[in-house]
Amino acid sequence: MGATTSVHRTIDAVWRMESAKVIAALARYTRDVGLAEEMAQDALVAALEQWPEEGVPKNPGAWLMTTAKRRAIDQIRRRENFNRKVEEIGRDVQEATPDASEGIDDEIGDDLLSLIFTACHPVLGTEARVALTLKMLGGLKTEEIARAFLVSDSTVAQRIVRAKKALADAGVPFEVPEGPELQTRLASVLEVLYLIFNEGYSATQGDDWMRPELCAEALRLGRVLAELAPKEAEVHSLVALMEIQASRSKARTGPGGEPVLLLEQDRGKWDWLLIGRGLKALERAEALNQPPGPYYVQAALAACHGRARRPEDTDWQRIATLYEVLGQISPSPIVELNRAVALSMAYGPAAGLALVDEISGAKALQGYHLLPSVRGDFLLKLGRTKEAKAEFEKAASLTRNERERTLLLERAAGC
Amino acid sequence: MRFMVFVRSPDPLAALHTDALERGGVLLDAGDLVPHACGVSGYWLIDVRNREEAVERVKRIPLPACVVEIRQVAVV
Repeated sequence: MGATTSVHRTIDAVWRMESAKVIAALARYTRDVGLAEEMAQDALVAALEQWPEEGVPKNPGAWLMTTAKRRAIDQIRRRENFNRKVEEIGRDVQEATPDASEGIDDEIGDDLLSLIFTACHPVLGTEARVALTLKMLGGLKTEEIARAFLVSDSTVAQRIVRAKKALADAGVPFEVPEGPELQTRLASVLEVLYLIFNEGYSATQGDDWMRPELCAEALRLGRVLAELAPKEAEVHSLVALMEIQASRSKARTGPGGEPVLLLEQDRGKWDWLLIGRGLKALERAEALNQPPGPYYVQAALAACHGRARRPEDTDWQRIATLYEVLGQISPSPIVELNRAVALSMAYGPAAGLALVDEISGAKALQGYHLLPSVRGDFLLKLGRTKEAKAEFEKAASLTRNERERTLLLERAAGC
Repeated sequence: MRFMVFVRSPDPLAALHTDALERGGVLLDAGDLVPHACGVSGYWLIDVRNREEAVERVKRIPLPACVVEIRQVAVV
């Protein structure tokens, strides 16, 4: 590896570690997230120009911060409100030097938290929140975000520009929300992190390198958030959920890329370190004694599987109970269908079939292939093979997944 | 990717200020090793994007006169 390439990789690493902190601190001074992000980018460009020649400074984070602040001053000077704002931040810049020995970690927590809440503000659409979060908090480049989401660089760039403008137009304050607003805004933050995670976890197409990177980034940001907001049970719950789900990533597809169902996975391929971390995060959530939220219940469900070294060790009774709780928090026929599966595993196929028949008229389940698939499974276990065959055939006609259709038709043929 | 950071330090690992790793969301595990003749030993297991990030993360920790070895964990 050439010396310049090595320095560039170091700059990438430093940027990934420091950019969110630099943007957050600048946003506190300027009260303008868009300007803060632009000035941080300018500092990055300066680093790319200077560090290969002059070497990486002793404290690269402080260097980036000072450079970005100076750019911000220059920028503000060009703006009409120069007099007021320069007074606010000028003093601070004069005191800082590029070789400042102190790091920028101290007292940055609140700024970082404010940045997270701002990037995930509900005034923005989902795609904008995701792009802004990855850009400002994950330190990802525009082209990396574009690769991950299979869109063009210009699409992501436009999303980010529009998002920053929308934040400015809406006058979104750079702060951590308080009171009743906190829970709504926190839900928005958690939604964004879980969306990023699922984008990497669920997708079966796209860049092989970038997709796992999305999972890793969502997980990392979740852990960061858990350190910043340790008293929020749903934050720990989401971390637990992501840790446990990520633990199965090597076991969930076969050699040909085909999905492997949870109960058929080789648990030797599960990452037991991540499971342990997930269970620990769940304990932290439980210790806070807060009412169970949707992420808590989903994490507790994932934990039931994570604790079982073998499929037959799974605590299906607890899973059925947890689905009941989830149904109360977020009522949905899909949750009920999952509960039917759990009931069947815990108490036998007749119990599951009774619930499936109860919910089969739900509008949301019409045309959903898993309804006849699950019903067929229960019927088959009860020895009602003729009815089971018809259900599998119906499910095969409804699914859009070719592999799944083949599997369902094989099951129908075997009845 | 994961990196194992071995540290040989005159002070116990717990006395080192490693919260930057925790706050950065990259610390997966940490533990002590059987003490060595040259000092106390321990490890951190971190999950980062590449070796450069591993090195930069470790450089942020104010370490006393330590011997540090950073090794990438093999993916099985």
